[in-house]
Amino acid sequence: MRALGWTLAVGLATACASDAEPESAPALPDVPAADAQMRRLTAEQYVNVISDVLGADLVLTTVLEPDTPSGGLVALGAARTALSELGVERYETAAFELAEQAIRAPESDLIPCATADRASADCLRAFVVGVGRRLWRRPLTVDETDVLVGVGVDAAQTLGAPDAGFEYALAALLQSPHFIYRNERPTPDALDEWALASRLSFLLWNTSPDERLLDAAEQGELQTDEGLSVQVDRLLRDRRARRGVRAFFSDLLELHRLDDMVKDPTLFVHFDAELGPSAREQTLLDVERLVFDLDGDYRDLFTTAQTHVNRRLAATYGVPASSREGFALVDLSPADGRRGLLGQVSFLALHSHAVATSAVLRGRFVRTALLCGEIPAPPVDVNTALPEPTDDARTLRDRNRVHLENENCAACHQLMDPIGLGLENFDPVGRWRSFDNGARIDASGVLDGAPFADAWSLAERLRAHPQLAPCFVRQLYRYAVGQDPTADEDSLVDVLAARFAAGGYRVQALLVDIVMSSGFRGLSEDAR
Amino acid sequence: MKLRRRTVLRGLLGSATVSVGLPILDCWLNDRGTAFAGGGGLPKRFGLWFWGNGILPARWVPPDEGRGWTPSEQLAPLRPVRDDITVVTGLDVKTGNSIPHWSGPAGMLTGAPLIVRSGEDYTFEAPTLDQVIANEVGGETRFRSLELGVKPAEGMSHNGPDSRNPPESEPGRLFDRIFGGGFRAPGADPTPDPRLRLRRSVLDAVIEDIRRLSPEVGAQDKLRLDQHFDGIRALERRLARLEEAPPNLDACAVPDRPTNDYADVDGRPPMPEIALAMNEVLAMALACDQTRVFTFGYTHPLNNVLFPGMPAGHHRLTHDEPGDQPLVNQIVISIMEQLRIFVERLKAVPEGDGTLLDHSVVFATSDTSFGRTHTLTEYPAILAGSACGVLKTGLHYRTTPGDNASKLGLTLLRAMDIGAPSFGVGEGRAETTLGGIEA
Repeated sequence: MRALGWTLAVGLATACASDAEPESAPALPDVPAADAQMRRLTAEQYVNVISDVLGADLVLTTVLEPDTPSGGLVALGAARTALSELGVERYETAAFELAEQAIRAPESDLIPCATADRASADCLRAFVVGVGRRLWRRPLTVDETDVLVGVGVDAAQTLGAPDAGFEYALAALLQSPHFIYRNERPTPDALDEWALASRLSFLLWNTSPDERLLDAAEQGELQTDEGLSVQVDRLLRDRRARRGVRAFFSDLLELHRLDDMVKDPTLFVHFDAELGPSAREQTLLDVERLVFDLDGDYRDLFTTAQTHVNRRLAATYGVPASSREGFALVDLSPADGRRGLLGQVSFLALHSHAVATSAVLRGRFVRTALLCGEIPAPPVDVNTALPEPTDDARTLRDRNRVHLENENCAACHQLMDPIGLGLENFDPVGRWRSFDNGARIDASGVLDGAPFADAWSLAERLRAHPQLAPCFVRQLYRYAVGQDPTADEDSLVDVLAARFAAGGYRVQALLVDIVMSSGFRGLSEDAR
Repeated sequence: MKLRRRTVLRGLLGSATVSVGLPILDCWLNDRGTAFAGGGGLPKRFGLWFWGNGILPARWVPPDEGRGWTPSEQLAPLRPVRDDITVVTGLDVKTGNSIPHWSGPAGMLTGAPLIVRSGEDYTFEAPTLDQVIANEVGGETRFRSLELGVKPAEGMSHNGPDSRNPPESEPGRLFDRIFGGGFRAPGADPTPDPRLRLRRSVLDAVIEDIRRLSPEVGAQDKLRLDQHFDGIRALERRLARLEEAPPNLDACAVPDRPTNDYADVDGRPPMPEIALAMNEVLAMALACDQTRVFTFGYTHPLNNVLFPGMPAGHHRLTHDEPGDQPLVNQIVISIMEQLRIFVERLKAVPEGDGTLLDHSVVFATSDTSFGRTHTLTEYPAILAGSACGVLKTGLHYRTTPGDNASKLGLTLLRAMDIGAPSFGVGEGRAETTLGGIEA
């Protein structure tokens, strides 16, 4: 009943979704949702919320507790890891650093009264209520407000300055667990309306709910299919959705590691500190274009022959550099040897060593992150040194042979090496090469029964792999709910994957499906 | 200096009191066994100094044993401090090797295997040695413990599953944390900054929020909130200590503030320079009794640091350099050089009749033994300092080869006056210490 009602609502409310509404797609099942967990804001989310609520001009020099991935995603690590003592201290330093700037900024509109009235307790109270609602993603209780006003009044009196009152109250808001954690605990019926607004906003915009979404939550609109789908649609159409989708792909593809990537500059003259960030931006621009401008097929990410390149990347790719700064779309052909994500520097360079390629690193990433395969750690006391190149065995493929010929190694390595060896034409910074130690590279192989001749055809094999799209659905679901699906939710994920396929593998439609599902909304048995 | 020591072991690890027989050197121990009397006693410190990617066992183990031992090739840089250190060889980590480079530290520092959820997803089961010790002595000082390292890294210090203590990796930020924001050196103006009290009142409000939230969350989340709560309380205590009178210790002085700018040279980080700056700040943090427990990561597990003159990163070389691995050998030697510099820095701080080093024990170890095959036998272990005369120094102590590495963990706990009956679990459990290095 619920699913049918939602389908109609979607058809009415959203132009995008309705004409792709699949006839043969199964309806989303109602499944008991997992117990929700407290999710700590990632460093990027923290900065986004500060920027949205306190002002985009604020500068944060304090380095926050690093994000830790778990099960391949920072989104899961944020729901699992405990905050260190140093992390607590850094939140305090950051809170005061930001509060001071926010209150003293001349154009700040955070304090809701005229300068003459700043010293009044009413002004302080109005400030706490207003800013608190945005920062904590829900209205503060009277008790909570009283405590914060008390802190502010104490500070203003002790330091003899009304502004100090606002600063200290704001610093308290920013250090509270209600700010630092997204508490998505279910009420008896569902995630409460505030938690749902929060989940929705962080998934689609990677930031806290805006005023309109908070108002919708307050009005109870998010508890209905119609109300929820109106908000999903609004958020997806907003430019901030690009930031949200970028955040997901950054997590999945580990793109943040590109900022610190190190390659030996004495060996790779094309490498410098700019390459990593440029490569990251290239991949994210391609993703944005596919998801928003084209509303295209996810699988095209692997076979597209168009990509964004700036002058820095043009040298690595061997394409003519634009005379202008910034990124431009270029066309690639089989002569370039590369297409799609596996041909991009972000993937190729990230999963290599500082001085050499690694078929295992590249293969393992594809197998685990993109195909959702499981690969255990290497056995104890095994000698992992690859043989040195010899006249008979000059290429990495030759030197890796023991992985596939030794039956103890092959069980796991057959899942990784063939993929990575298919990409050997790309050196550790992603530049094309035809030779390795003087021998011509053979990039042919077989991907789970499907043969390929080189990276160009490997891209097609990956696109056609039966696990590619279902794995993406699973990863996005995990990211959305912050944990691995329960056994019950597995059946939901299967249906999401079937609907994804039937609807043309469109990411926006998948996002809508996930948000509208019982798993995301934390709906219990009783509510149905 | 040799001293007799008589200790009375008390019950379970984690209880609040320790009873000790006799005072040692001028480390006066009060009835809690850890603090020093205002009249001139000195605290005992514990540190962990580690590097990544192990050693070459054939060139590590010294050819002879006992006092006056002949340094092996890789230990040669430590010759000038030979009498202040003890090298322990023959130890094996017994808790399995499911995740190379991490199973070793887990076994050596917790006596337990890693919790492994998948090839990519693993964590420490129990708190590491430094935190076990910090649980006992950390309440006495402003910082329960300090974690620092030369480059951003995960660090070795863990509190239990999914809970680690990331190190500070920038010398300037480390300085600000300890000596900035309200710290008053000995002899400074006794009036505390009023903002310290206001900061504590903010933290009180945060504590209230945690208290009210805690009953509403699930069991796992409650543990995480508990840890957050502990972190807030620790911060409150640190602020409260800043409001007290400055430390009454002769050697305490505020060092110069180091820069934060240690740019890479040709893509290679200036590790020795950064370490030097870190050593300065840490030595004074200890001398000013701001903490008694630290972990210092010169390089981290699995690191691929490009050392000067090397054609590839350290980790890469351990697996790919053929034959005797002369380049890997050179790297280990250069790391031991850094250990010597560190030990000398602690030795240069006079305290009472001795030095800061005399009143400490620093445990230097790595994430594996032979880097190429990730072995856990013949595990590297060096102790610097006598922990106030409790441990012997100047020895190469070779235990029965294959002996349980957890015995060293237990020995260190006892040296820090923690009367634990055992250390470690399962195969990693030890109930006896390495008597040969106890005074």
